[in-house]
Amino acid sequence: MNKTDDQTVAADSTAAVSKRKTKKKNHNHPYFYIAPFVIVFLSFNIYPILLTFYYSLTNYTGLGGIENADFVGFENYARLIGDSFFYEAFFNTIKIWGVNFAIQITIAMGLALLFSDMRLKLKGLNTFRALFFLPNIITIASVALLFSILLDWNYGSLNQMLLTLNLIDRPINWLNDPVLAQGWVALIGAWMWFGNTFIILMAGISGIPKDFYEAAYIDGANWWDTFTKITLPQLKPILLYVFITSIIGGLQIFDLPLLMTDGRGAPRGALNTMVIYLYNQGFSYANFGYSAAIAYGLFIITIVFSAITFKTMYRSQVKVKKGGRK
Amino acid sequence: MGKIKTARGVIYFFLVLLVIICFIPFYMMIINATRSNSEILRGFTLIPGNALMDNYDILNSYINIWIGFRNSLIIAVSVTVLNSYFSALTAFALVVYEFKAKNVIFITFIVMMMVPGQLGLIGLYDLASTFGILDTYWPLIIPAIAAPFTVFFFRQFLITTMPMSILESGRIDGASETYMFHRLVLPILMPAIATMGIFTFIGSWNNFLFPLVIIRSPRLYTLPIMIRQLQGSPVASNLGAIYLGIAISVVPIMIAFLFLSKYIISSITAGAVKG
Amino acid sequence: MKNSWKLASLLCGAVLMTACGSDTDTGSDADGDSNGGGEGSVDLVINSFTDELAYPIEVFEERNPDVNIDLQIIPTENYVDTLRPALESGSGAPDIFTGEIVYLLDWIEQDYWMDLNEYNVDEWSDDYLDYVWELGRNEAGEMKALSWQTTPGGIYYRRSIADEVFGTDDPDEIGEMFSTMDGLLDAGEELANAGYRLFPDEGSIAPYTMGNNPEPWVNDNNELQMTDARLSYFDYAKELRDNEYSALAPAWSPAWYASFNEPITYNAGWEEMAEGEETTEVFGVSLPTWGLHSVLKTDAQATAGDWAVTNGPSAYFQGGTWIGIYEGSENKDVAFDFIQMLVNDEEFLTQWVEETGDVLSYKPVMEEVAQDYSDDYLGGQNHYEFFLERAEQIDPSNVTRYDQRLDQMFGASVGAYVDGVLTKDEALEEFYAEVQNAFPDIEVPESN
Repeated sequence: MNKTDDQTVAADSTAAVSKRKTKKKNHNHPYFYIAPFVIVFLSFNIYPILLTFYYSLTNYTGLGGIENADFVGFENYARLIGDSFFYEAFFNTIKIWGVNFAIQITIAMGLALLFSDMRLKLKGLNTFRALFFLPNIITIASVALLFSILLDWNYGSLNQMLLTLNLIDRPINWLNDPVLAQGWVALIGAWMWFGNTFIILMAGISGIPKDFYEAAYIDGANWWDTFTKITLPQLKPILLYVFITSIIGGLQIFDLPLLMTDGRGAPRGALNTMVIYLYNQGFSYANFGYSAAIAYGLFIITIVFSAITFKTMYRSQVKVKKGGRK
Repeated sequence: MGKIKTARGVIYFFLVLLVIICFIPFYMMIINATRSNSEILRGFTLIPGNALMDNYDILNSYINIWIGFRNSLIIAVSVTVLNSYFSALTAFALVVYEFKAKNVIFITFIVMMMVPGQLGLIGLYDLASTFGILDTYWPLIIPAIAAPFTVFFFRQFLITTMPMSILESGRIDGASETYMFHRLVLPILMPAIATMGIFTFIGSWNNFLFPLVIIRSPRLYTLPIMIRQLQGSPVASNLGAIYLGIAISVVPIMIAFLFLSKYIISSITAGAVKG
Repeated sequence: MKNSWKLASLLCGAVLMTACGSDTDTGSDADGDSNGGGEGSVDLVINSFTDELAYPIEVFEERNPDVNIDLQIIPTENYVDTLRPALESGSGAPDIFTGEIVYLLDWIEQDYWMDLNEYNVDEWSDDYLDYVWELGRNEAGEMKALSWQTTPGGIYYRRSIADEVFGTDDPDEIGEMFSTMDGLLDAGEELANAGYRLFPDEGSIAPYTMGNNPEPWVNDNNELQMTDARLSYFDYAKELRDNEYSALAPAWSPAWYASFNEPITYNAGWEEMAEGEETTEVFGVSLPTWGLHSVLKTDAQATAGDWAVTNGPSAYFQGGTWIGIYEGSENKDVAFDFIQMLVNDEEFLTQWVEETGDVLSYKPVMEEVAQDYSDDYLGGQNHYEFFLERAEQIDPSNVTRYDQRLDQMFGASVGAYVDGVLTKDEALEEFYAEVQNAFPDIEVPESN
């Protein structure tokens, strides 16, 4: 590295962070500082990802090393495209995430609106926020095991409670019915995450200038008008954030459904999510090559979903801007 | 005015109801942890039993859950420290200096944030196996040094809050760059470090898939893996002991949260608004 | 701020050190912490999926005070997944590890266990049940693993209930009654009429559905063998459930354990069930030899003395633990001493038998013990007589490496049919699809 090179790059750079970069004495510093990051990044992030890709082109079974595996080209990907189990896993994942997100955002939005209402002036925001958030920090494995026994058919406390209260005549086998089991995973997910979403929405709403609302009230706007015309549009970036983080996390759901039942997606594959499928193909059935292909399938799906979200949000943002000009 | 008061009353009622619903699972867990297996099989109650110590003995005869605690703590703290320190260092380099690879690195970050962690799972497992570090904490801890999202967050934070002039005056005083990073930049970054640190810590604490694949010696098990062991273990013949095991894994976290909740919540707010 | 930062980094540094510290002691003992030689103590690591070895370890440590044995138990369902990577890579591998019969065949062909013939174990072969010996030997004739036990199964039942319902608690008479499938189901009917349940769950009948000529799950051509006998499990299980011969207590669940001790609630399922009729008592359960000491004696103490064991409609065996020394162990001599004590030491084995009532594959001790034995837990019955006779009939040729997973998958499919959520054809189709998916190499029958 010689000085001139660096300075040329610096001059070309549009990052425009600092304008006073004239007196740098030691130009090796930045490389020295980013070296640990780059080395670890390349070896523990990029390399495994590339290695996984290579495996996805083989029939590697984990036994006897990769030398014993055959290169099979895109065979695993062809299998993936025709694999009904993978589609099932995909739709299970989406269903669980969708129901979970709907419940979560409804409760969180409702709470955020209540607590930000200027006329109600509710107290205790900090306490409620903390209480609602608490399930989020509990180890998911513990949550899953806890619910798997609370929901037990014969001896789970939930059925015992419902029976005692005469709300049901006979116990419901919650985790043996595909729809109920998925519903429970979604509900538990919502239970864990609505507090988090509530806090984020609350932060977003409190960032909206108060005079927007005051002006609206003076104009005689009702609650629904202020919600749809002011709150929602103003919250758009925050909602995008909530949505994106939720879906990326949702596509990777693993611990909860794995530990709620037998770890292979019981009842009847209803809790077989994409990552559980990936895990079992690789680490239970030793089909590492195929498992690697599933990982790439998951990756592509994540990209597609993120892209769709960005695009939808971007388009509506353009619309808002246009509307604003009118 | 009266109308609002009534509304407020109704709303508080539902809020409290929601809190109760949220806490019923934990309450049942604690109650059942004090009851014997046959009591639990026979029915539920809201009153604690007196089998707590028996349950603890049964649990303890099979698993030492406190070791899981210790192991999880060691990993989570190491991960958080490495993640914070090296991300800060990288962000510092990216913000303060101009150099060749800067843009490449930056674009890579954006792409990598979209990559699901599982993508490298099999590769990482094999890498660990090649290096002979399977069944150690290294594959779980070292990757924390390279956390694109944290670097990204720190970079944004530094751009908005760090005046370049303090580095200039530092240089004039003859301070070395490294010294300035430790003495000037890190303190400025502290709020951001706290924010990301909490996320990182919780993320590592809850991490399940990677330890599941990497760790196999029972004495190295993290808490989530130990909890999973409970499911298929001889302890499973005793519901009270299982409830107790779960309770032990949960209650200390709840207590820690009581003290830190304010901080955690403001971190989430900061994370959402800035990120 | 500066001070707190200093403090924080100091603290973190300390934690990191601990982290690394504990990392270094994670390196397996097999890697040789150099404490193998000299007069220092020896650390052995044993991996297993049960705590059965706790007692022999205690005895061995007493006999050899300079040896420390660390028994690491990994639950059955994760055992292979967790151990195999370590055996492959050598990192974190134990000195001694056990293998279940279901993956034994796979493992003896790998380089996991050392050849025990280096210690001339061949000389012992006459003293062991043939099948136990043969299963530990691989195709190349290397002796990879040994076993101290034999695992024929039977039906354990409650004497008091037998007395009340059948008018006798004699194992021979009950066994006579259970010697055919119809006889067993008739007994189920009688028990149900008296308010009892034959078995805790449907799985207890599974061993007998294969009849007297069992087929392996997968044949030499990698074809899944769905014989009529195997398929009959669907109907028998359904019959058990529908006629209320079983008590909805799935194997290894808390309810299952509880059913051996006391009346259990079974309020899940029957609409026509009358008020107040909410508990029932379970008559018996199918378990192999080791079920006596590792399940009943440990978890069913309330009914001690009220049990007996007899035969079902056909002979079967289940499970079996083989043990060997890791190829890369640095403490092979000590490890071998342990194994020798465990499988070939008369004094120890006699002690072990008295302690547990386990049935051994080592004939000299068994012959001696079986002569006049009576087990208090089994109401004074000499179960050795019964089991040793059964052990002679064991034919391990049907064991395949897929058994564990396939049994699990098949059980789940049968369960779905018994629960009434799938028809038999649907359940079967689902099972085939799952097998095909997990094991692409296996050829499944065309489903109709």
